[in-house]
Amino acid sequence: MTQQPDLLAEPSPAAQPVALVDLLDRLLGVGVVLAGDITISLAEVDLVRIKLHALIASVQPGMVE
Amino acid sequence: MSARTGRYLYAVARGITSNDLTGVTGLRDRPVRGVDHQGLTAVISDVDLDEFGTEGLRRNLEDLDWLEEVARTHHAVVRAVAALAPAAPLRLATIYVDDDALRNRLDEWRDALLRALDRIEGRMEWSVKAFAPADEPEPSPPDATAGEGAGAAYLRRRKAAVERQRAAGDESAALADHLHLELSRHAAASRRLAPQDRKLSGHEGTMTLNGAYLVATADVEEFLATARELDRSHPEARINLQGPWPPYSFATLEDP
Repeated sequence: MTQQPDLLAEPSPAAQPVALVDLLDRLLGVGVVLAGDITISLAEVDLVRIKLHALIASVQPGMVE
Repeated sequence: MSARTGRYLYAVARGITSNDLTGVTGLRDRPVRGVDHQGLTAVISDVDLDEFGTEGLRRNLEDLDWLEEVARTHHAVVRAVAALAPAAPLRLATIYVDDDALRNRLDEWRDALLRALDRIEGRMEWSVKAFAPADEPEPSPPDATAGEGAGAAYLRRRKAAVERQRAAGDESAALADHLHLELSRHAAASRRLAPQDRKLSGHEGTMTLNGAYLVATADVEEFLATARELDRSHPEARINLQGPWPPYSFATLEDP
């Protein structure tokens, strides 16, 4: 999992990778909402997040709950 | 079943034409193209509906690798477009069956899209997060061999620890409010996103602020200086600054 970059610690914007969780904050949570012909409802997005938690917990066994 | 295709919509931009998107690559290495419609350009690429239809999405969204790849490609396309012109980024996975369905939607949302583009033109999004230190460990209970009064003493220690934690929580919440207010002074708009789950982000301590700030190009230096100053003057919190992002958090069609 990509660590969250910090410009206050290391001011080199160009080289910074984006953490997946920060992307999902925006790509699932905000952004223009135009209903498409195929859309995922907010309820399903919540489901995605819950499943993500489970997935990440399963691939990072050392992580404390 | 033969592979039917749909149109995956990344962003709606103003002031470009489909020609400007030549060379931009979208999902599954398919070329990105623009659908020009009455002064707006929908930025799309074709996707297989086996993968991006209702059934496919339901299945694939549970696959972390799939989700990450799609999210990163979506972001890369949005960034490429935002570098060219004001662009309102869409949420992940907005898909139409054909160009006509897409044009109908652009007609329907035209006024709101134009307002969103007015709001974000010449502005970028910055992220500032604040973290309070982790809670102190709970006092350990007395063992069975401890003398008389050890139980009562433990309960007193525990009560005191709970109260200290509550006070610390109040303080870090007040600090988060203060940081948000100060940063918002240099932003055209701001909003607080839900604090991230530690299991997803892997951060230490408690996230007390997950702020998004829409900052005009001319105000960026001042905004960054403010963030640095707040970081210096509040060593009790850890502050994280990221950006610039395409204006995801400010292109929503509701009033911000």
